[in-house]
Amino acid sequence: MSVTDKRAPGVRISDLSVVYRTQAGELPAVRGVDLELVPGTITGVVGESGSGKSTLALSLLNAVQPPGRISSGSVEIDGLGDVVSLTGDNLRKARGRHVGYVFQAAQNSLNPLKTVGKQLLDLGRSHDVDDLPGLVKEARSLLDRMGMDGARVLDSHQHELSGGMRQRVGIMLALVLNAHIVVLDEPTTALDMITQATILRIIREVHEERGLTTLVITHDLGVVAEIADRLAVMYGGRLVEQGPTREVLGAPKHPYTRGLLQAIPRLVGDIDEARALPGRPPTLGTIPPDGCVFRERCAVRMDVCETGEPPVLTIGPRIVACHAEAGEREPESEPAEEPEKETVTTGPVRGEEQA
Amino acid sequence: MITGKGITKTFRQRGGMLGARDVPALRGVDFSIEKGGAVSFIGESGCGKTTLGRILAGLESYDSGEIVIDGVPMSSLRPKQRQPHFRRVQLIHQDPYSALNPARTIHQTLDAPLSLRAKQTGRPRSWMDERAEELLGLVGLDPGYVLPRYPHQLSGGMRQRVVIARALTVDPDMLVADEATSMIDVSLRLGILALLKDLRDRLGVSVLFITHDVATARYIGLDGELYVIYRGQVVERGPVETIISDPVHPYTQSLLSAIPVLHGLEAPGAERVVPTEAIDAGRPDTGCLFAARCPFRTDRCESERPVLGHDGGTAQEHACFHPQRRSVVATPAVRL
Ligand SMILES: Nc1ncnc2c1ncn2[C@@H]1O[C@H](COP(=O)(O)OP(=O)(O)OP(=O)(O)O)[C@@H](O)[C@H]1O
Ligand SMILES: Nc1ncnc2c1ncn2[C@@H]1O[C@H](COP(=O)(O)OP(=O)(O)OP(=O)(O)O)[C@@H](O)[C@H]1O
Ligand code: SF4
Ligand SMILES: [Mg+2]
Ligand SMILES: [Mg+2]
Repeated sequence: MSVTDKRAPGVRISDLSVVYRTQAGELPAVRGVDLELVPGTITGVVGESGSGKSTLALSLLNAVQPPGRISSGSVEIDGLGDVVSLTGDNLRKARGRHVGYVFQAAQNSLNPLKTVGKQLLDLGRSHDVDDLPGLVKEARSLLDRMGMDGARVLDSHQHELSGGMRQRVGIMLALVLNAHIVVLDEPTTALDMITQATILRIIREVHEERGLTTLVITHDLGVVAEIADRLAVMYGGRLVEQGPTREVLGAPKHPYTRGLLQAIPRLVGDIDEARALPGRPPTLGTIPPDGCVFRERCAVRMDVCETGEPPVLTIGPRIVACHAEAGEREPESEPAEEPEKETVTTGPVRGEEQA
Repeated sequence: MITGKGITKTFRQRGGMLGARDVPALRGVDFSIEKGGAVSFIGESGCGKTTLGRILAGLESYDSGEIVIDGVPMSSLRPKQRQPHFRRVQLIHQDPYSALNPARTIHQTLDAPLSLRAKQTGRPRSWMDERAEELLGLVGLDPGYVLPRYPHQLSGGMRQRVVIARALTVDPDMLVADEATSMIDVSLRLGILALLKDLRDRLGVSVLFITHDVATARYIGLDGELYVIYRGQVVERGPVETIISDPVHPYTQSLLSAIPVLHGLEAPGAERVVPTEAIDAGRPDTGCLFAARCPFRTDRCESERPVLGHDGGTAQEHACFHPQRRSVVATPAVRL
C-alpha cells in the first residue's frame, strides 16, 4: 500500500440545511448548521433520536437520499472542494477514497449473498485499486486487530457473523481504502462495554497512526467522552453547543446539554441527582419554525426564546446558541460600575460557568 | 417469590465445518427474587442473560435444575400445568420496534389480552376500556392520544411504555425487563426506570432487570441485588451498591472499568482493570471461566473452577480464588 499522507484534511460545513419532503411540505431535519472539522481531530456529534445526526453525516458525502435534499449551504473538504456541488462519477469516487463511512445499522447493510471478502474486492475495483491482494491483506489485519479471525471473517456471509462482528466489518470497510476523512455513525451500538471500549481504543489508534479527520455520530455521551476531542450537541436539527469535549462536559453552557448530562443514570452518588428532562424530543413536524428549538423543555426560557433566533455566541473555543447565555454576557455592554469582575451568581448551576 | 436452583441450559448448534457444537448458555445458575424485589443481571453479550429471562417466562426449556414459583416446584407439574405459573412472569422484549404488531392500533393491541382477562374474571366489556386507560395512565401515557394510534406513530420511548402496559394487562407477579431502556433516549430513560420502581412499590411486582448499562440497575431500587454473569455462570452477586462500589471479581471489575468515563465531569477509578485478552478467542472450559483473560490468574485458576461463596470474608458472594476489592468506577469530579 502507498505510504500514508500524514496531512489530514479539514472540513468546513457552512449554513447547511437539509429538508425532507413530507405530507406537510418540506420540513428541515438539519437547519443552518455551521461546523468545522479541524484536521487531525475527532469530532463527536451527540443528540437524541431524530435530532438530525445521520442526516448531517450523510451531507458530508452529499449522500442525502430523496425525499430529502440539501436545500442550502456548503461542505468544503480540503482537496475536494464543495461536495454539495459534486455530481456523478466525481462524487462516487470521493466516497470511499476521500471519505470512509460506516453507516448506522452497518450490521444490516452487508450484502447477504456475498462473502465479506467478495464485497471487499467489489469495493476495491469500484475505486480502481490496483493492488487487490494488498487490499485484502490490509482488511485482514484490520479485522485481526479488532479481535477477530480476519481470514475467517472474509470468508463469511453476513448471517454467519454476530451483530457485533458485523459492526466491526463495517468499521473495516470504512478504513480499508485509506480515506483521510472517516465518518462513523453509531459505531458501537451492538457491542457490550468491554468490546466497545476495545473498539473505541482501536479507532483512536488508527486515527492517530494515519492522521485522519474523524466524525463520530452517537446518542451516547459516554462514547464521545471517551473518544472525541471536540463535541457538538444537536437538538431539533440545530447545533446548540460545541467545544472541546472536556470543557463542554465539565461546564455545559446550553440548557439542553446541561439537561442531558443531568439525566444520565450514574454509577455512584445520590440517585436523586439524576433528573429527567421534562417533555419529549421534537419530531420533524413539531420542531418550532422560529425561536429556540429547545424552549418547550427549557428551565430558563424567557419571552424572547419564543420568537427570536438564539444568538450564536463564540466564547474562546466554545460556541453556544442560547438567549439565556447571551443574557449572562450582556452586562458588558452596560455602563460598567465596577471594574470587570466575575459576578457571583445565585443558582447552583450557573456557579459552574467560567468562560 | 421465585427461586431457581442449578438452572442449566446448553444449546446445540448444528452445521458448520466442525459439525455440531454445544453452546453452554447457563451453567447451574441459582437465583431468588422476592415479591416486589428487584434483581439485575449484567454481563457481556452472549453470556446467557436473555436465555434465563426466557426460561422464567416459560418461553424456553431448561436441561436441568429446578424453578419454584410461590412454593410450587415446576418439576412436580406437567408442562401444561406449568403454563399458568409461567404466565405470571411477563417478558418485556429487548426491542420495542419489533415487539408490537405494526398493523394494530394500541387499542387493539391491549384489547386482545384484556378480553381474555375479562373472560377469566367474568368482567363486562366496559371494564376492558377502563383498564386499558388505567394501565396507560400508569405508564405515563395519555390514553386519548395513544389508543387510536399505530406503533409507527409513536416514539421509541412511548412504544416501550406500551409494551410495559401490555405486560401489565395480565396482572403479572414479575416482569422480566430485557434491555428495556437501552433503546430509549437519555432524556426519557429515567422515566421508564422510575416506572419500574413504582410498579414494585405500589403493586408488589418483582422485577428482573437485564442490562448492559449497570448504572440503570440502581434506579429500579437501591435495595436490589446485582448478579454478574460470565459465560453462563454467576461470578459475583450481592447488593447493587456493594457490587458497584466494591467489586471483588476481576470480571466484574473489567466490566465496570470499561464503562466510558465522562471526562471533564468524572474522574476514572484509580484501579481500573483491563482483561489481558480484549476479546476472548479460545475459551478453555476448565478452571475459572475467566482465567484466559484475567490479569490476576494463578496456576490454580487454570485447573480448578471456583464456586460462588464468601471466601475471604467478602460482603457479597463471588466465584474467584483471589478476591480483592478494587476501586474501578469513575467518581464525579464536578457537580452539575
Ligand atoms: N427518508 C426520510 N423521510 C422523511 N423524514 C425523514 C427521513 N429520514 C429522516 N427523516 C427525519 O429527519 C429527522 C432526522 O433524522 P436522522 O435520521 O438524521 O436523525 P438521527 O439524529 O440520526 O436519529 P437516530 O439517533 O434515531 O439515528 C427525523 O425527524 C426523521 O424522522
Ligand atoms: N436458539 C439458540 N440456538 C443456539 N444458540 C443459542 C440460541 N439462543 C442463544 N444461544 C447462545 O446462547 C448464548 C447465550 O445467549 P443469550 O441470548 O442468553 O445472551 P445474552 O446474555 O442475552 O446476550 P446479549 O447481551 O447479546 O443479549 C450465546 O452464546 C448464544 O449464541
Ligand atoms: S434560548 Fe431559551 S429556550 Fe433556548 S436554549 Fe436558550 S434559554 Fe433555552
Ligand atoms: Mg441516526
Ligand atoms: Mg440478550
